[in-house]
Amino acid sequence: MKKLRVLFMLTFSLFLSFFISSKTDFVHAASNKQIVFWNPFTGPDGTNMQKLINQYNKTNPEYKVKNVSLTESDMYSKIPTIVNSGKGIPDLQIVHVERIKDYVHNGLLDSYDPYLSQFPQIKGKNYVPEAWKNGKYEGHRYGVPLDIHTTFMYYNKDLVKKYAPHALDDNIVTFKEIEEAGKKSQKDGITALGLTWWKPLFLSLYGQMGGKLTKDGRNPTFNNATSKKAINLYKRLREEKITSQDGQDPMQLFLTGKDIFFPEGIWMNNQIKEGKIKYGVTNMPQISSNPNKMVNWSSSHQFVLLKQPKRSKAKTKATLKFINWVRLHSLTWAEAGQNPASLAITKNAKYNNMQQSFLLSNKTEQNSLTIFDYRYNGYLADYLDRYAYDAVFNKTSISKYLKKMQNTVQDEVDAQMAD
Amino acid sequence: MEDMLNTAKTAENVRTKSRNSKPTKSHPLYYLLPHLIIFSIFFLIPLVFGIYVSFTKWDLVRTPDFVGLENYKNILFSNSIFHDQLTSGLWHTILFVLLSVPFCIVVPLLLAVALNTKPFLGKFFQGLFYLPSLFSISAVVIVWSLIFNPNYGPLNTLFHLNQVWTGTQPWAWMTIVILTVWWTIGGNMIIYQAALNGISKDYYEAADMDGASSWSKFIHITLPSIRGQLLYTIVTTTIAQFNIYGQPLMLTNGGPNGSTSVLMMNIQQNAFGSGQSLAGLSSAMAVILGICITVVSMVQLYLLRDKD
Repeated sequence: MKKLRVLFMLTFSLFLSFFISSKTDFVHAASNKQIVFWNPFTGPDGTNMQKLINQYNKTNPEYKVKNVSLTESDMYSKIPTIVNSGKGIPDLQIVHVERIKDYVHNGLLDSYDPYLSQFPQIKGKNYVPEAWKNGKYEGHRYGVPLDIHTTFMYYNKDLVKKYAPHALDDNIVTFKEIEEAGKKSQKDGITALGLTWWKPLFLSLYGQMGGKLTKDGRNPTFNNATSKKAINLYKRLREEKITSQDGQDPMQLFLTGKDIFFPEGIWMNNQIKEGKIKYGVTNMPQISSNPNKMVNWSSSHQFVLLKQPKRSKAKTKATLKFINWVRLHSLTWAEAGQNPASLAITKNAKYNNMQQSFLLSNKTEQNSLTIFDYRYNGYLADYLDRYAYDAVFNKTSISKYLKKMQNTVQDEVDAQMAD
Repeated sequence: MEDMLNTAKTAENVRTKSRNSKPTKSHPLYYLLPHLIIFSIFFLIPLVFGIYVSFTKWDLVRTPDFVGLENYKNILFSNSIFHDQLTSGLWHTILFVLLSVPFCIVVPLLLAVALNTKPFLGKFFQGLFYLPSLFSISAVVIVWSLIFNPNYGPLNTLFHLNQVWTGTQPWAWMTIVILTVWWTIGGNMIIYQAALNGISKDYYEAADMDGASSWSKFIHITLPSIRGQLLYTIVTTTIAQFNIYGQPLMLTNGGPNGSTSVLMMNIQQNAFGSGQSLAGLSSAMAVILGICITVVSMVQLYLLRDKD
C-alpha cells in the first residue's frame, strides 16, 4: 500500500513539475530586459530578419530584441489563445495588414497612439502611403509597416525579345500584348502566361476593372458583372492556350524557359535567381496601358502590439525605438527580395539596383500598389485559395463559382460573434 | 545470535502481515490514476468542452456566447453554406471510407497470408511493406504527388499519358485511396501476421488430409481463426478513415471543385482559417461527425459480433 502511495506521489509530482517548469519559462521570457518579437519569417527571409535583429542588438540597446520565428499558420493560431490567456504575450508582433481590422474588433491589439508623440519620425510621410494608410483603423494607429510586398511579373528576356519585343517599352504589359505573344509562341510550345497564385491574379484584375470587395465594409460584393468579366478573361486565355494549363507547373515552365511571363511575389526572387534563365521584372498584367490605372496586388507585414494586461511603458518605448531603427536600416530586409515600407530606403543606391526597387521608384508605381483591405479578407482568401482556378479550368461555371464565393463569405460574416 | 533470530522473526512478521493485508476498495484506483489523469486532460475534458462549445458562438478570444441549438439548426436545417459543408463534407468522408476501408483490410490481409508462407526474402518484404507506416503524411503526399505529377511524374511518362490525376474525377479519389492504402498497410498487416502465427497447424493438416483447396482453407480456417483481429482492424480502420484530413488537404486541396473536400477540412477551416474563428459551428460539425463514427462502429460491432 505504501509503495502504491509512493508511486502515486511520484506520478503527481511529475505532473506538477511539468506545469511548474512550463510556467517558469513564461516568467523568464517576460522578466528579462528583452523585447520578444514574434514573426512568420521561417523561410529564407527569416535569415535576413535575424541578421537585421543582430545588427540592432549590436548597437547595445537597453532592451535587446529576441527573434521568435513561427510558421505562419501556427503563429496565427497561437495569437488569439495567447492573448486570451494573458501569459507569454510577445512584446512585438508581425501580422499581415489585412488582419488588423479583425484583430481590433476582437480586442487583440493595443494602439500605438500614446507613444507616437515621442517618435515623431514614425509618421505617414516616411512610409509608402498604401502601407501606412492601412495600419490605421477607426482613427487609431495599430500597425507600423515593415514592408509592402507585391506580386509583380517576372519575364524571360530571350522569349520577350522573340515573341513580344515591344511589350516592355512602357514597362506595362497588357493582356492584349500577352495574347499576341502567346499566339506566336504556342506554335513553338511556349506558354505566354503562367497561372500562378490565383488570389493576387484575380484581385489585381478585379481592382483594375474597378471591382470592390464591399460597399458598406461588412457585406461582400463579389458576385457581379465585373468579377465575371475578370474570371472570363483568364478562362478565355486558358482556352486559347495562351496561359499554362491544368496540371502544369508554371514555375517549372518558367525556369525551363517554356514560359514568357510569370506573375509571382517579389519574395520569390531568390528562388528564381537559382534558375539559369535571363529574366527581368515588371508590373502585373494590366488591361490598360495607362500608368495611372495600374494595379499591383500588395500586402504588408506590420509591426503590431498585442494586447497585454499590464503594458510596460518603458518596454513599449524600447519597442518603438526598435521599429524606428528598422525604418532607417531596412536594406537587410530588402536583400531578402522585399520592398521595405520605409521611404528612406529609396535613397539607398544599393537598394535602387535591386530588381524590386522599381515599384517604389516613383509616385505612379507607388500608387499602383494596392492592398485589398476588407475586414473579412480572411474568409475571401480561404475561398480563393481553396477553389482557385476551378472556374478558369472549367470545373464549374463562373456563375456558380462566384455565387458560392459570395454566399460563403456572407454566411461566415453573419455567423461571427457580435462585436 | 539472539539478535539475528529476532530480526528474522520481525521480517517474517512483516511479510506475513503484508501478504494478509486485504486490498481496499480504493486499491485499483491507484493503478488507474496515472492513466485517468492523462485520459482526463487530453480526452475527457476537451471532449466535454468541445460539446459545450458546439452550443455557443465563440471566436477563441472572447467568452463564448451560449446560443443553445442554433449551430445545429444552422448546419442541419438551413440553406446556409454550413449546411452544404456538412452534407457534402460528410458524403465525401463516407465515400472515402467506403472506397478505402475494404482495401485497407484486404490488401494487408493478403500480404500477411503471403508472408505467412515464409517465402524467400519474407522478412525483407515485411519490413518494406511496414515502412510507409513510419512516414509522416507530408512525406507520403510529396512522394505520391511526384508520382502523379502530370508533367514529369513516372506514371504519365511510362504509359505516355496526359492525365491530370489529382485535378479530375474519378482519378482524384483514386489517388487519395491508393496513397492511403500504401501508407496504412503496415499496421493491419502486423496484426494479421501475429494472428496467423497463432493458428494451429493441425487444422491445415486435417484439411489437407480431407483434400481441401487453398481457398477453402482460407475461408473456413484462416478467416474464422482471426475473426477477433479482423473485427478490431475493421472498426479501428473505419474510425481512422472517418478522420481523413491530410491526404485531400495536401494532395488535391479538396478539389476539383470541392469534390474531395472532407468534413474534417471544413471543420478545421471554420475554426482555424484565416478569418475570425467560427469555433461553435466547427464544434457542432465535429460532434455530428463523432456521432456518425460511434453509430457506424456500433453497427459494425453488432454485425460482426460472435453469435456463439
